[in-house]
Amino acid sequence: MPDDVREFARQAREFLDANATRAEQAEFRWGQGEDTVAYFNADPPDVKDVKLHAAKDWQRTRYENGFGWISGPPEYGGQGLTPVHELIYNSIEAEYDVPDTGTLSVIGLGMIGPTILAHGQQAIKDHYLPALYRGDIIACQLFSEPGAGSDLAGLQTRAVPDGGEWVLEGQKVWTSIARQSQIGMALCRTDVNAPKHKGITAFLVDMSAPGVDVRPLRQMTGGSDFNEVFLTGVRVPDDHRLGEVNAGWRVALTTLMNERATVGGERGGTVAEALAPERLAALMRATGTLDDGALRRDLSVLLADLLAAGHLNRRAVRAMRAGVTPGPERSVAKLVHAQNLTRAAHFVSEVLGPRIIADTGEWGTYAWAELLLATPALRILGGTEEVMKNILAERVLKLPKEPGIDNTSPFRELPRSGKAAS
Amino acid sequence: MNDGREELDDLREAVREFLADKSPETAVRVAMETGHDPAVWDQMARQLRLPGLALPADYGGDGFGLTELEVVLEEMGAALLCSPFFGTAVLAAQALLAANDKAACERYLPGIAAGDTIATLAVAESSGSWEPAGIATRAERAKGEGPGWALTGKKSFVIDGSIADLVLVVAQTPAGPALFAVDGGAPGLRAEPMTALDPTRPLAALALDGVPGELIGVEGEGGRMLSQVLDVACVALAAEQAGGARRCLEMSAEYARTRFQFGRAIGTFQAIKHKCADMLARVELAEAAAREAARLADEAAAEFPVAAATAYICSSRAYMFAAAENIQVHGGIGFTWEHPAHLYFRRAKSSELLFGGPAVYHERLLARLGI
Repeated sequence: MPDDVREFARQAREFLDANATRAEQAEFRWGQGEDTVAYFNADPPDVKDVKLHAAKDWQRTRYENGFGWISGPPEYGGQGLTPVHELIYNSIEAEYDVPDTGTLSVIGLGMIGPTILAHGQQAIKDHYLPALYRGDIIACQLFSEPGAGSDLAGLQTRAVPDGGEWVLEGQKVWTSIARQSQIGMALCRTDVNAPKHKGITAFLVDMSAPGVDVRPLRQMTGGSDFNEVFLTGVRVPDDHRLGEVNAGWRVALTTLMNERATVGGERGGTVAEALAPERLAALMRATGTLDDGALRRDLSVLLADLLAAGHLNRRAVRAMRAGVTPGPERSVAKLVHAQNLTRAAHFVSEVLGPRIIADTGEWGTYAWAELLLATPALRILGGTEEVMKNILAERVLKLPKEPGIDNTSPFRELPRSGKAAS
Repeated sequence: MNDGREELDDLREAVREFLADKSPETAVRVAMETGHDPAVWDQMARQLRLPGLALPADYGGDGFGLTELEVVLEEMGAALLCSPFFGTAVLAAQALLAANDKAACERYLPGIAAGDTIATLAVAESSGSWEPAGIATRAERAKGEGPGWALTGKKSFVIDGSIADLVLVVAQTPAGPALFAVDGGAPGLRAEPMTALDPTRPLAALALDGVPGELIGVEGEGGRMLSQVLDVACVALAAEQAGGARRCLEMSAEYARTRFQFGRAIGTFQAIKHKCADMLARVELAEAAAREAARLADEAAAEFPVAAATAYICSSRAYMFAAAENIQVHGGIGFTWEHPAHLYFRRAKSSELLFGGPAVYHERLLARLGI
């Protein structure tokens, strides 16, 4: 570790010691403590609000002490240090009990902040970047549409110029944290005569502007972690445009590349805890299945994959610390994570038997239903399994792309669901 | 990805170049018929100093760790190198080290490090089990004066058992299993090559009829020694497997880019793309597990035994999967004797079962986790 990094780590510890308490590793006992196993946030709304406030407060505290945007440029409130410093800070902070700031950081700070920095106009950078990293505002991502899922570049929300402003019209879907966000990054079609990747423009939308209508979407777990966002005549000033007109696909790639650095990592929390070897063994002991040969084999297969996925992530983090930029092979982690959690949920179902089809009230049993019902989403969100595999095959293994008409024909001529080619 | 450690990349490059030159497919096919090429073994020892790479400097080695050895083994697995390296530099050398017998290490390890001694470890018998309980071969104190023992029994699946100068035999004593050194040319020792599914790794059956043996370490300590050796051997084998799996993936990707059907490269079809992506995912996991286990061994981390079992499970699955899918991607040509795909399939299956197979190694992982 170079001297400056060592000194940085010392300062980080000093800050955390003064502002947070060290996390205590409570010893696990069957039947004691929290038994939630939730991939999605299963908190009731009032608890969510309390946690959101705590998250914003903690981000402000970080920011005011120089740990809010470690790798950001000083002119926008960053510290001008490297991603390595950021990794070091994160690993030190993980030893402390601090509010989970995922609502702010995963999308806003992790993906949209870097996009504004790379493509935003001066006034936008000056205004929004410090506000984002200080925890004053939250940003969401207005990308997916009912007609543009895997094929994001097929999006149809229109943006039409009108007297120095743009008028947005369309519908976005699967928007996380739309209700908590003050700004959203929207991809819109600005030229239907160009091929689909070449007629898109990116904008920053004020989520409180007239015509922005956020409606919670209820997902199959029963909870509401996503939204539909209807944009009806929403006016956006031209200085809120990110990148050049019709160059929005490049802007979107910046956003998605930063996603790669965040999605697929070990997601801590209740799921990771519940999948610890001793927890799974305790579950089998409690259900009297620990000696079942077939289940033991399944357990071992599952644990080997979970442990290996942990090794894969650990090695990626270590490589990043050594200055190696993660490549597209990082998508493997996302693929494997989804497969592992899916296999885990079904394995546990088999261990629990009927106790997961109806709640007996027994600790640590029906609680797994929340994860079980979340697993189909893991193979879809952040890029479907099929699209991730195409990316791995084409970018890592250099297999040729499928021949198609949709990258060269004008967008308006492309066949769409419910509208065959004319 | 080697944590950005460039010296590991240099080592990998040197071994890869050497093997591209000395162990192309034509050489592998010759060695399958006539055994390993002693000239290549000699060069590996004298030019690259590979047998002694991970042995302590006190015993003539270069004192590197499992991290470096892992890199070498990945490349050997990728090239299907036919060599007594695994039996000698991994199994036998690790058995000597794990037996905690300084005199024996001083006697045998320098010869191994220098490439002068071809050695192996004989544990399994007709059942193929590497568990100490499955060992029936007996060692009795030799009649008359002296510290010698006489070994009687049958060993099977002994890697390079027909050519080894030094055979380390695990046999039962009144105090429990123990390790013995037996000279490859000792009277009463008969080695018969077994017909092997994987002809790139020769296996032999040994008949011992009162063969003179020298006790290494302590009587009754053979079980502990074996457990320690197996942890390291599992990582070493996992490295070979990960390397072999990676090569299968490379062969598939190359073929998918260049084979045309229906007027297009078959790699444009998602059915083929997804197959290759699935292989990639397993290969990446296997490599990470093998490399991480090696790193943990070198740090003497408490989690090493768990990581070793994990690495072997993941690499076994990755290799078998990649070797089978590689044939599928190639179609008919992949099923021919002339195509190398079957050699990888054979190596994959043989490696998966060498130490007893999934039924054993899955329970080993659970045991290492205390479950």
